[in-house]
Amino acid sequence: MAEIFNTKKRTETGTLRMRRLRAAGQIPAVLYGHGQTTQHLILNASEVHAALRHGKMIVKLQGDFNDEVLIKDLQWDLLGSNVLHLDLARVDAEEQIELKVHVELRGVAPGQNEGGLVTLHAHEVEIRCSPQSLPDKLQVKINELHLGQTLLAKDLPLPPGVWMLSDPELMIVSCFEPGGEQDEESAESPAEPELIGRAKRETEDEG
Amino acid sequence: MALMPKRVKHRKVQRGRIKGNASRGNRVVFGEFGLQALEPGWLKAQTIEAGRIAATQYVRGEGRLYIRVFPHRSITSTPLETRMGKGKGEPEFWVATIRPGTILYELSGVSEQQAKICFARLAHKMPFKVRMVARR
Repeated sequence: MAEIFNTKKRTETGTLRMRRLRAAGQIPAVLYGHGQTTQHLILNASEVHAALRHGKMIVKLQGDFNDEVLIKDLQWDLLGSNVLHLDLARVDAEEQIELKVHVELRGVAPGQNEGGLVTLHAHEVEIRCSPQSLPDKLQVKINELHLGQTLLAKDLPLPPGVWMLSDPELMIVSCFEPGGEQDEESAESPAEPELIGRAKRETEDEG
Repeated sequence: MALMPKRVKHRKVQRGRIKGNASRGNRVVFGEFGLQALEPGWLKAQTIEAGRIAATQYVRGEGRLYIRVFPHRSITSTPLETRMGKGKGEPEFWVATIRPGTILYELSGVSEQQAKICFARLAHKMPFKVRMVARR
């Protein structure tokens, strides 16, 4: 079920006013797409954070605007705790959209019991689908992943109506023996780093 | 052995000031969870190594630890009971300059609960406030 954002039309702009808006538990956003006029709106911060927590990319707008939209872009603060601004793009039911979705590993790989380490290489893959068939995340079952095996993008099971746009040979997950921890404690390691300029000058003097 | 650059342009640098927040190196990139600094400061190479040991002892064989910071800056000091003058002291140790928001370590291949325990052990070693963040 799509998340619902209650919206209000925004007439104010500017850093100071937006800062006050955020302090009041609201988030400024912009709505565009489909050749219609760009609209500025206000969203409820708790609703936005709930949608993001659930990994929802498609949301429905209520209130001053009634559209089905895609969360196109997010602007975070420097510590990555709060959303500062949202870009919302209008989408149609028949339209095909291209976007990146998260990959989630499910199950326990038998390779782990064989001494392997499961590594997720691609955290996101690019797909094309209609807004109705957009998955929140792509779940990859690793119950058959033994030591020395890998899963590529072409091996991922996709829901109906979803096409993979990422390179089919892109490595998604692997199970290999962990590389030995290299103790760099060797007698040869110098106490001080080499000076870049000095080495050059010495060779010039010799020449 | 603690981390240290292989080649440098200058052995000694001026002290400088740490201003502002981290505008790069502030996202979890390699793993699923990260340890984020909330205060500015210098992180010694020995401290980075101590954190690495504390974390790898916990996640041994299960997950993978990524170190996202490197000590590029040398810190000098003059010996005790030395008279004033005679120039700047000799490099004593190496530090990484940390701004609020910098991701220090990352973990992959572990559950959220395991990452929480691991980073709690690691946080004890840190000289400033840190918190755990998840990839988004």
